[in-house]
Amino acid sequence: MVTAISDEMFSGEAITDPYSYYGRIRDEDPVHWNEKYELWVITRHDDLVWMTRHHELFSSEFWSRDKRSPYPAIDESDLGLYQFMREFFMKWFIQHDRPVHTDQRKVVHKWFNPASMETWRPMVQQVVKDMLDEADEDGRMDVMKDFATPLPLFVIAQMMGMPFEDRKFIRSMAEKLLFIGRGEADRMQPLTDGIKELMEYLSPLVAQKVDLPVDENDLLSVLASGEKTGALTRDEVIADAILLLLAGHETTINLICNGTLAFTQHPDQWKLLKEAPFQDPDTVVRATEECLRYDPPVKSIQRIASEDVEMGGKLLKEGDRIRWFMSSANRDPAKHENPDTFDISRWPNTHVAFGSGIHHCLGATLARMEAQEAFKALAGRYDSISLETDEYEYQPSVTFRSLKSLPVSLK
Amino acid sequence: MPRKVRVSVDLDICVGNAMCETYAPKVFVLNDDRQSTVADPNADTFENIMEAAQDCPVSAITVIDDETGESLFP
Repeated sequence: MVTAISDEMFSGEAITDPYSYYGRIRDEDPVHWNEKYELWVITRHDDLVWMTRHHELFSSEFWSRDKRSPYPAIDESDLGLYQFMREFFMKWFIQHDRPVHTDQRKVVHKWFNPASMETWRPMVQQVVKDMLDEADEDGRMDVMKDFATPLPLFVIAQMMGMPFEDRKFIRSMAEKLLFIGRGEADRMQPLTDGIKELMEYLSPLVAQKVDLPVDENDLLSVLASGEKTGALTRDEVIADAILLLLAGHETTINLICNGTLAFTQHPDQWKLLKEAPFQDPDTVVRATEECLRYDPPVKSIQRIASEDVEMGGKLLKEGDRIRWFMSSANRDPAKHENPDTFDISRWPNTHVAFGSGIHHCLGATLARMEAQEAFKALAGRYDSISLETDEYEYQPSVTFRSLKSLPVSLK
Repeated sequence: MPRKVRVSVDLDICVGNAMCETYAPKVFVLNDDRQSTVADPNADTFENIMEAAQDCPVSAITVIDDETGESLFP
């Protein structure tokens, strides 16, 4: 019997195995109207790239333009909190179109360029070494809790000049903000609590930086310089600081965790990484790109149609919500040979884990560098990394591909 | 005499971030796929071209000194 495509994106099935769920949509109805949540689901590689490159048709001003009610539904008493959240997210530079987006991105764009990121590599190598030295003492670790989370959190906090002892607080607030991709009806309370506490935490720090001359080594100082040039208001500086803190570590956590999981499930690829034959580009670079393709940290991104657009025989109307799925595009057989095979020698690897076009991930080079150092160090140290349990669970998020934990033993 | 350069963009790498277009709009022009291509390599200042190359998030831009053949970026 042929069953209709279920529109429950938060079902256990779709959360555990998005590749089957969105893969079926890609095969059967690649530009799919999800009736339940009233949004377009975009699943093909070529469609996704075309849309990212036509930013004038698909607006990033999601939170200011979306006229429909919240999805999934929230408690009615939380509509005030929903409004507060929207007004906060509207201030993020990524929630703008050109020309505002370009002016605001430029405040920090240079800071993230490849040469600038390279200067941080030795620091990342040292942090990776320290963390794995500690794990060695026990012969095991929870990759999520003991490695994948503290590493990028340490790095972004260091880049933004946050005091060492504040990292725990930053992470617990970030966890509240991650409710953005979730479906619980009561999610507005933790989400807005996280926003408010981070605003309170960052306000005095930002005020300090605005008063001082720009310190080119300090990301928060560079961001705050946007207020002096008029590119950003004070509220926008604070909102973008929260964005950089959050996006600067959550995604990389998932990249390291999902990649490590893939290696435990594919011993032949682990062996290949360990042998690391000399290539150009080298094996670690290729392996990291394949981890990004095979199980990307961010599953989907949302936009809103700026005008009526026809795609694949469907009419996307002005004001319609859109979600494009990198996790599905990265497994599109029209783009990738044997898309469901984890193959670290795959090259070139034209995945869209970082999106494409003018909104291509600002921190892509940083994420790549951290993951390269993490995988290189793991492969250099351990003959085998094996799962301690077959039962691993994912956060019920439609945005992030995020494991709850990943306990492994190290040999 | 301003420095003359040769500029190219690797379309296998270019993700259409288009920052180069904002730094040096007479040099970098987007094609139908919204990837960057070189129109006139000497139509903007040398400084702006170098900035575009350095800040390309995927290092898709190459700059060569037209006279000496020296690689200026990467």
